[in-house]
Amino acid sequence: MDPFSSAAIARQTWELENNIVSAGEASDSSAAASDAIFYYDEAAQAKFQQEKPWANDPHYFKRVKISALALLKMVVHARSGGTIEVMGLMQGKTDGDAIIVMDAFALPVEGTETRVNAQADAYEYMVDYSQTNKQAGRLENVVGWYHSHPGYGCWLSGIDVSTQMLNQQYQEPFLAVVIDPTRTVSAGKVDIGAFRTYPDGYKPPDEPVSEYQTIPLNKIEDFGVHCKQYYALDITYFKSSLDCHLLDLLWNKYWVNTLSSSPLLGNGDYFAGQISDLAEKIEQAENQLSHSRFGSLLAAPQRKKEEESQLTKITRDSAKITVEQVHGLMSQVIKDILFNSVRQSNKSQAEPSGPEPMVET
Amino acid sequence: MASSSSSGLTFKLHPLVIVNISDHYTRVKSQSLPPHAADASSLPPAPPPRVFGCVIGVQRGRTVEIFNSFELLYDPSTHSLDRAFLEKKQELYKKVFPNFYILGWYSTGSDAQESDMVIHKALMDINESPVYVLLNPSINPAQKDLPITIYESELHVIDGIPQLIFVRSSYTIETVEAERISVDHVAHLKPSDGGSAATQLAAHLTGIHSAIKMLNSRIRVLHHYLLAMQKGDIPCENSLLRQVSSLLRRLPAIESEKFQDDFLMDYNDTLLITYLAMFTNCTSTMNELVDKFNTAYDRHSRRGGRTAFI
Repeated sequence: MDPFSSAAIARQTWELENNIVSAGEASDSSAAASDAIFYYDEAAQAKFQQEKPWANDPHYFKRVKISALALLKMVVHARSGGTIEVMGLMQGKTDGDAIIVMDAFALPVEGTETRVNAQADAYEYMVDYSQTNKQAGRLENVVGWYHSHPGYGCWLSGIDVSTQMLNQQYQEPFLAVVIDPTRTVSAGKVDIGAFRTYPDGYKPPDEPVSEYQTIPLNKIEDFGVHCKQYYALDITYFKSSLDCHLLDLLWNKYWVNTLSSSPLLGNGDYFAGQISDLAEKIEQAENQLSHSRFGSLLAAPQRKKEEESQLTKITRDSAKITVEQVHGLMSQVIKDILFNSVRQSNKSQAEPSGPEPMVET
Repeated sequence: MASSSSSGLTFKLHPLVIVNISDHYTRVKSQSLPPHAADASSLPPAPPPRVFGCVIGVQRGRTVEIFNSFELLYDPSTHSLDRAFLEKKQELYKKVFPNFYILGWYSTGSDAQESDMVIHKALMDINESPVYVLLNPSINPAQKDLPITIYESELHVIDGIPQLIFVRSSYTIETVEAERISVDHVAHLKPSDGGSAATQLAAHLTGIHSAIKMLNSRIRVLHHYLLAMQKGDIPCENSLLRQVSSLLRRLPAIESEKFQDDFLMDYNDTLLITYLAMFTNCTSTMNELVDKFNTAYDRHSRRGGRTAFI
């Protein structure tokens, strides 16, 4: 029927626009080729492990490919932690300059300041889990760790940086992934970042500008001190042909959830937090600005630029929050028009329990 | 073997389980067919291997919600699942997800088979009424429905002998918001970073648009059905008519005074936020303007800050 074909066209346009290779589209042979990523070649991996091409080039790994399953598991686990940081490990393999993450599993520890020690506690769990996995047919090794930063963005804190540097010394190849489940839900897109640290004392040749994200005031110092010690990798996703097929069909069932999701109600706390954080930042910026007025002769143009860029940063942040809020409101208004204006319309029978769009359970 | 279930339990399935099973199957399949050796033309397709595993989740009253799953070892000689392995895995999962219990098991294939009943019975000592989730891994582009069936076991008297047989149950897909977003993300391969505000807006509205289109198409189907019933092409089914009429009465969804107030309050809050953001934007631009002015005209002014700008 028509909805299907135009949906298919829309999807293809998206995929073209984003230059993202979707695994297994048209023919059978390409389906087999894309599923080939699931094949674990023990010999090739062992050889790669011995060669250690990353030992000479700290910037060796540039890309990360995450499987649909790993992403889903990590996001669900991160979200289930609520406002507590959670962590887990990722399994996968390497492929040239890309690290491929096939699966992820959660670790039974919660994030605290002493998380470096907590990782030692989780070793037993990890060993057990890896053993059982190998028996069950998942042959990949642990290739990284992930943890969540609920509400304050995807970056590595001081402790994270030292943990990762340790990992990169002893457990190469290793990757650090950070997920922010709160921002994911609020923005409607997955907030995730993959990082590798530089070894101590290494100065990166040039600093590529990473995507800007707003950091709450109480964390911004931690962020600033360490942000030069690691770099971000490009993330792409892949899925098997069967996954593609199932996800397509899944859409038939969960379109109701899309319509009935209520970001305004669900994220009220987060929005309020962001706004108060912005208010504090503005106050800070104001203090700095008024200082510079007095020293306008002596102030180096450098400093002025920094305050300005702080104000522009604030502007950008406020724009972002507003956009998210407006999106939420748009959904509400659309639902109001759809379901509250009394007209001679039949209701869909597909969900006899009926969506209750205005009441968030 | 499959008739409709009458146990009255409602099943809710999370997409994570579906992706889990699919991934398990793809993995085993590709491991048994090394890509270098596989030659699509010469090699006859081997029968796809069956994979087995366990599903875990929560059961609250009559609702069974399946959240997650993990793999299990199958012993083809004894037709049973490796019990020690199951318990070990269960322990591990209990540590991370203490709320989840074993609800049943899963497998791939096109239909439930006799040997499955043996496995099913073996699990009955963990959970007295396990569920069996069956995924059909054959990709059929003409299919419109999810190839997943959930079976329960029921005691039926057949030929005078009480036997356990599999009966089908219906299920709904349940997601948490984060799950929905990531499934959406992977399904439609949206750009991983925000892109411009325009792209974000387009993405958001496209999502809602597709959902509304779905709703519309379902309504049309219903409409045609009712028209046909009115014309007399299809025999009148009173239970269906009752359902439709009760659904109609649910519109409008909410119509109270309080709701209108709250709704308008939310609306005004959003407008206020927009106003504040514009305000901040203007302030920032003005600040830049003033600084530029200062730099251009104030170069030689003496100390004392607020000298020569407007």
